[in-house]
Amino acid sequence: MSTLQYAILVLTLPLASAAAIALFLRRQGNLAAALSVLTALTIAFVAISPLALFGARDEGHIDWLTLGNLTISLGIKYDDLAALMLCIVGIVGLCVHVFSLGYLHDDAAKARYFGGLSIFMFSMIGITLADNLFMMFIYWELVGFSSWLLIGHWFEKKSASDAAKKAFIVNRVGDFGFLLGIILCYWANGTVNLSELGLHHTYSTLVPLLLFCGAVGKSAQVPLQVWLPDAMEGPTPVSALIHAATMVAAGIYMLCRINVLMVPDALHAIMWTGTITALYAALCAIVQSDIKRVLAYSTLSQLGYMVAAFGLGSIVGEGQAAKVAVATGVGAAMFHLTTHAFFKALLFLGSGLVIHACHHEQDIFKMGGLRKKLPITFWTFTIGVAAIVGFPYLAGFFSKDAILYLAFANNSYVFAVLAFTAVLTAFYMVRLWKITFLGAPRSEHAEHAHESPLVLTGPLIVLAVLAVVGGYAGHYPKAFAGVIELVPEAEGSAHTTIFLTSLAVLAVGAGLALSFYKTAAVDTLAEKFPGVFNFLTALRNAFDAAYDWYVAKVQQRFAMLLNFIEQVLLAGLIVRGLLAGTVGLFGLGARALHVGKLNVYVYWFLGGVVVLWLFALGVL
Amino acid sequence: MGSFLFNFFALLTVICAVGTVVNKNAVNAAMCFLLALVGVSGLFVLLDAYLLAFVLLLVYAGAVVALFLFIVMLLDAQGGPRRPFKPVTIAASTISLALLAMGVLTIYERSHLTAAPATPAGPTLKEYAYQLFSTYLLPVQIVGFLLLIAMLGVIVLAKKHEGLEDIK
Amino acid sequence: MITPTLEVYILLSALLFAIGFFGVLLRRNTLVIFMGLELMLVAATLALVAFSRYNGTSDGNVFVFFILTVAAAEVAVGLAIIVALFRKRQTIQVDELNALKK
Repeated sequence: MSTLQYAILVLTLPLASAAAIALFLRRQGNLAAALSVLTALTIAFVAISPLALFGARDEGHIDWLTLGNLTISLGIKYDDLAALMLCIVGIVGLCVHVFSLGYLHDDAAKARYFGGLSIFMFSMIGITLADNLFMMFIYWELVGFSSWLLIGHWFEKKSASDAAKKAFIVNRVGDFGFLLGIILCYWANGTVNLSELGLHHTYSTLVPLLLFCGAVGKSAQVPLQVWLPDAMEGPTPVSALIHAATMVAAGIYMLCRINVLMVPDALHAIMWTGTITALYAALCAIVQSDIKRVLAYSTLSQLGYMVAAFGLGSIVGEGQAAKVAVATGVGAAMFHLTTHAFFKALLFLGSGLVIHACHHEQDIFKMGGLRKKLPITFWTFTIGVAAIVGFPYLAGFFSKDAILYLAFANNSYVFAVLAFTAVLTAFYMVRLWKITFLGAPRSEHAEHAHESPLVLTGPLIVLAVLAVVGGYAGHYPKAFAGVIELVPEAEGSAHTTIFLTSLAVLAVGAGLALSFYKTAAVDTLAEKFPGVFNFLTALRNAFDAAYDWYVAKVQQRFAMLLNFIEQVLLAGLIVRGLLAGTVGLFGLGARALHVGKLNVYVYWFLGGVVVLWLFALGVL
Repeated sequence: MGSFLFNFFALLTVICAVGTVVNKNAVNAAMCFLLALVGVSGLFVLLDAYLLAFVLLLVYAGAVVALFLFIVMLLDAQGGPRRPFKPVTIAASTISLALLAMGVLTIYERSHLTAAPATPAGPTLKEYAYQLFSTYLLPVQIVGFLLLIAMLGVIVLAKKHEGLEDIK
Repeated sequence: MITPTLEVYILLSALLFAIGFFGVLLRRNTLVIFMGLELMLVAATLALVAFSRYNGTSDGNVFVFFILTVAAAEVAVGLAIIVALFRKRQTIQVDELNALKK
């Protein structure tokens, strides 16, 4: 089979699985789960073996909808970037599917869950393979829908259904900008096909900025980051797959795809957005007590890193040089996306195991002492933490170094902020690690925790291995050369500087956390420095409070005004008064004519004859 | 001869029509109606519409009036005491009479028609049938449908319905 | 003797129509009212045939055919209604059949 046929197979398999589950397997949870896992296995296998390693790079499309001059086509663009992303989606997807088998073993709505996972895989692969912006937008929305479905899996809990709605609505705000960008792009360039845009496009600052809005929504950048922490209401495997490794990375992927449209001003804005997000999220993560919330904010921070990396790869020259410089941003961002997918999924699944072992307890201050009780979980989680903080020679080390090098070379302010954020990252991650696993058990459940079966720990081990080896860019198969070659490598003195910086960052952050935090039942920061603690908590709540104020004061009032206009003026006056009233009057008049007596009807008949007669005479 | 026959049949028709309307007894009225139809049939013959004359006798006089007689004798109802006419009725009658007079005058004033028939004999049966099956085929079909519906309607209406309240 | 010109036929038809109409107006027995209706129809047929003859076409004749059919159907249904009404109200005097009045 050719590349395109394999690609279509990978795309339609999860759709078929979801359709089968939705139509036939609603009540059979186990069958649905098996079907979904098999599909994920096939996808992972096909993504790696026939496609990435041995498949040719290709693209093709069909014209789907033609409206006058506008043609919306559906197509597949399979180049190195798509190959890399598809492999990530496949591998992490498979791990999460297998993990879900064990985690949601006793869930009542298993079939719905696995159907949702299949739909998500379909949508995500669609975004990966899309060759034009319209198609990407369709799958973009589908991914948002699957996210809503999966976050609200336990919809009987009000907090879960609220979180699902919040995620969808906030994404919608970003998607509005995205759609405007697509329309503007079409209007300015006459095409939205990515390859054609690569060949020729008009210079515009607005188009890439608007398209970036979509990434702001989907990848949860400031100011639309409020949905990601709440999305942790969903089951942990969902958080691992969607809100750590793949969906939120779709924004980054999209940015890399529209790389050719970038201009220095837009890249500048993108860079600062990412940097601010990274810093803000890191600050918020320090004061979280829910294990999943810490990881959520950590995801936000790392996404900020990726966006900043993309924005950094530019500020060098115009023309051809700019094109190459922008591409380094792509390389750094995608490299970090890859390593992040592995170790963040690992961390989330590990936290899932911890929660499961402690009987659905998510507060880290009620855990502790799990090092002895859950050995496999402990060691894989440790590898994940080490990777994220940039422990030398693990995956995160290399990707973070690439980003820091880019920042160092292009913008020292950003470099300073990103380095500080790295300190904070080490700080809160080690805090999390220490309080969750070390010390003595602080609750009943932590006392009785026990290790989970292989179906749950297996995926963790796989991901841990990838987190260790994923950084050795040179070892990536030639298949991904198109992307991996673009990763910036520090040379000479810069190399030493960056190396020393990351070591220092690690030492300061980790050391501070290890020494400062005690494995107690309360947050040490709240104890010793309540002012700082309260400030950081307020910072975290600031955005939600602002949005609540806006909705309550501005939007509600406007809605009430519109309601008044509609009820009183339109419905009351015009519809019921004018139109319906007139009709009612006619009805009353007609009723008066219907006397029951035959004679009267004859008189009317006579009247009609008179009228006709007069008409015939020419009088009327 | 034609003139005499015309006068005879015309007079017959008019007198019997008046008889129909005036008669107190419904059976007598029906019989007068029958004779009026005979008169009209004769007039049709004078107008060279032979088929129509016979069809009129067969269908109208034969079937319709017979049906009338059946129903009159079935519902052997007696009329109530005579009541005086209401002013509305008198007004309506006057207006109708006036219209009739006006109509007669109008016809005589405005007519430019010739005395004798313009063309010889009316349509033959063959032409007639031909028209029915070519130009007027659709009305024939519709009328067939109408007869079917009328038949169904009569069957439904004439059924005895048990247990319905009196609406008085 | 009146010679049968077209105007005379039309006049005759109008006269019959008027008689029928007065019957409908002035009689109280429903069946006699019905007969008046039929008289009006017959008057119309007479006019049609007269015109058809004097214009030399056969359209009028064919139309009469349809009028006859419709009249027959109408009589059948109308009489069925009258029978049903009689069963309900035991009367066929028109001024007593006024239950639809408000």
